[in-house]
Amino acid sequence: MRLLIIEDEPGIAGFLKDGLEEEYFAVDVAYDGKSGLDHAMTNEYDLIIIDWMIPVISGIEVCRQIRKSGSVVPIMFLTAKDTLEDVLFGLEAGANDYIKKPFAFEELLARIRVQLRSKHQGDDSLRAGHLNINPGTHQVFYETSEITLTPKEFALLEYLVRNKEKVCTRSRIIEHVWDIHFDSDTSVIDVYITFLRRKLEHAGCGNLIQTIRGVGYIIRES
Amino acid sequence: MNREVKHVLRNTAIRLKKWTVMSLRNRIALYYTIATAFLIALVFAILYFMVESIVYKQFDDEVNNEVSEVFADAHVTSHDFTSFSRFKTFIDDTAVNSSEAKKDPKEAAKVDTEFIQLVNTEGEVINKSNNLARNVLIFKPGETKTIYFNSTINNSTIRQGQLPLLTRDGIIKGYLIVAVPMKKAIIVLQDLETVFLFSFPTIILTLFVLTRLIAGKSILPIENVIATAEKMTQANLSQRIGLPYHHDELYRLASTINALLDKMQDAFQREKHFTADASHELKTPLAVVKGTLEVLVRKPREREQYENKIQFCLMELNRMARLIEQLLMLARFESNKINPHIEEVSLPLALEAVTARLQPVALEKEIELKVTGMAKATVTADSAMLDMILENILSNAIKYSPAASVVTITVEQKERKIMCSITDQGIGIPEEKLHAVFERFYRVDESRNSGTGGFGLGLSIVKRLADLQKITVSVKSEKNLGTTFSLTFPST
Repeated sequence: MRLLIIEDEPGIAGFLKDGLEEEYFAVDVAYDGKSGLDHAMTNEYDLIIIDWMIPVISGIEVCRQIRKSGSVVPIMFLTAKDTLEDVLFGLEAGANDYIKKPFAFEELLARIRVQLRSKHQGDDSLRAGHLNINPGTHQVFYETSEITLTPKEFALLEYLVRNKEKVCTRSRIIEHVWDIHFDSDTSVIDVYITFLRRKLEHAGCGNLIQTIRGVGYIIRES
Repeated sequence: MNREVKHVLRNTAIRLKKWTVMSLRNRIALYYTIATAFLIALVFAILYFMVESIVYKQFDDEVNNEVSEVFADAHVTSHDFTSFSRFKTFIDDTAVNSSEAKKDPKEAAKVDTEFIQLVNTEGEVINKSNNLARNVLIFKPGETKTIYFNSTINNSTIRQGQLPLLTRDGIIKGYLIVAVPMKKAIIVLQDLETVFLFSFPTIILTLFVLTRLIAGKSILPIENVIATAEKMTQANLSQRIGLPYHHDELYRLASTINALLDKMQDAFQREKHFTADASHELKTPLAVVKGTLEVLVRKPREREQYENKIQFCLMELNRMARLIEQLLMLARFESNKINPHIEEVSLPLALEAVTARLQPVALEKEIELKVTGMAKATVTADSAMLDMILENILSNAIKYSPAASVVTITVEQKERKIMCSITDQGIGIPEEKLHAVFERFYRVDESRNSGTGGFGLGLSIVKRLADLQKITVSVKSEKNLGTTFSLTFPST
């Protein structure tokens, strides 16, 4: 899952990036409204966190612009403004959630996961056949046995399972699993897919990830 | 007794309360009506008495005519009282007129003709005209001059004249009383009275209603003021009173209140800004420290990583401590609870202390601190506060100066006032931002993390401290040439 953080305070952006990357998210940071908006328009993010008071373009305006472009990406406001009017104003501008500074990192994480849940999902856990993924604890179970994955393998599997029954192209996988500093050599995906398949096979679910030749990969439940 | 007094007092209080809650328009109408009522009453009274006196004057003339007729008929004058008996002729003469009376001697006096009566000094009737029949005209004894008065006969009003009859020696021997009926005149006077009595309350009532209406109309702008003020809340000071068309007192009242509201709104806005800024400035480092530590303890890490993060947090905390200190200082100075200890201070000495303290910082950037001008200058100030002002301005100058430049401090005398200017060679402050530099949390460089480490409170503190000591602070700046802060001290 790839996130964008638009926050001018380096201290906050810093620990957010550190903490979220430890949670297997790919994180990009923009330090002002304009570059944040540029990022949001050019890359595909699974969630955007915006500070309200940022230089050049205000957070509210960035949020409005993103919504105007037709994007429905979940947007969370992060701000020291804490009056009821501010909260309402922020939500009306198109934000999905609003979290006040200072906040607990765990709460932020939980709220991010809520935003990433799909419509049909009652809780955070993801399923594909007998495969069960818990993004909160980063555990993967096949029936009852646990499969140990590296962060990147986990992120890759999570993305594929979230988009099960859909073909995931290599470029989309790159977009959502790696951050902006990754140079777009898509062959790295094939390497990680190989690692993943080996581990899954070892656990007993060999054919979960299928290759669509020349395009990408797909997970089919049947 | 006591209870009665209490009762009266309570009643008075209630009445007073009613009076004080009376609306302005009613009061204006009431005052106006009372004043006018007095005037109208006066005019009516004057009119009435004028008419009355004119009427009486006419009747008095008639009485006089009658008297001269009597004398003419009798060939006598009042002085020639010796021929008193010759009045008989007159009596006989009038008797012709009263032939009707003779028909019925018991008939009461007819009141549409004049009556004549002669009395001696004792008031005994000597002779009278027949038309008086059994009636007698009223006699007022003891009068030495001709008098006129009203009396009644058979319930109708008559005007009487009473003329003393004198001998040549001036001795009153008797009186000639002549009376004329006043029937029509009295009706006129009574009508006049009725008209006045009825029209008075009508006029007053109409006047009250009209004045109330007009007063209500003319104080309409006040109603506007009230309506606007009622709509106003602390959060919404944007309402303004509509100005009346006429440039009168109410116009001035409305515009004065509007101006006051502008000021209030401005102050309120600034306060709101300040609170928002302060909350942001305080919450941000708190959020940074909290978040950093929360992320840090989520997983076991290398010793080096712990040390780095804790160092980082300590830096943030130090910054926060500095901010809190400045905020508290500002709050203390702004609460006006601080009394400056004003004394005579040597400005060059104060400058020397500050420059010496800031020399290491300046040296780091290879900045020269040059002090020029008067070597001796005494100003009145609080030395500790002056020190704080100078340090703030000077450290600002050093902070915004490019490396290897000069900061010039000049002490001079202008129009008997001592002035101290601190000039840097920095990039300057744009003109449109110059006015705001003394505002709290204002930074010319808008990005909050410009690396200069300031909060935008230093100059606010300077301004506040200067105000306390009646020192004028001003700033002027030229782009790319530098900024000058000037302190003008009060003349000693």
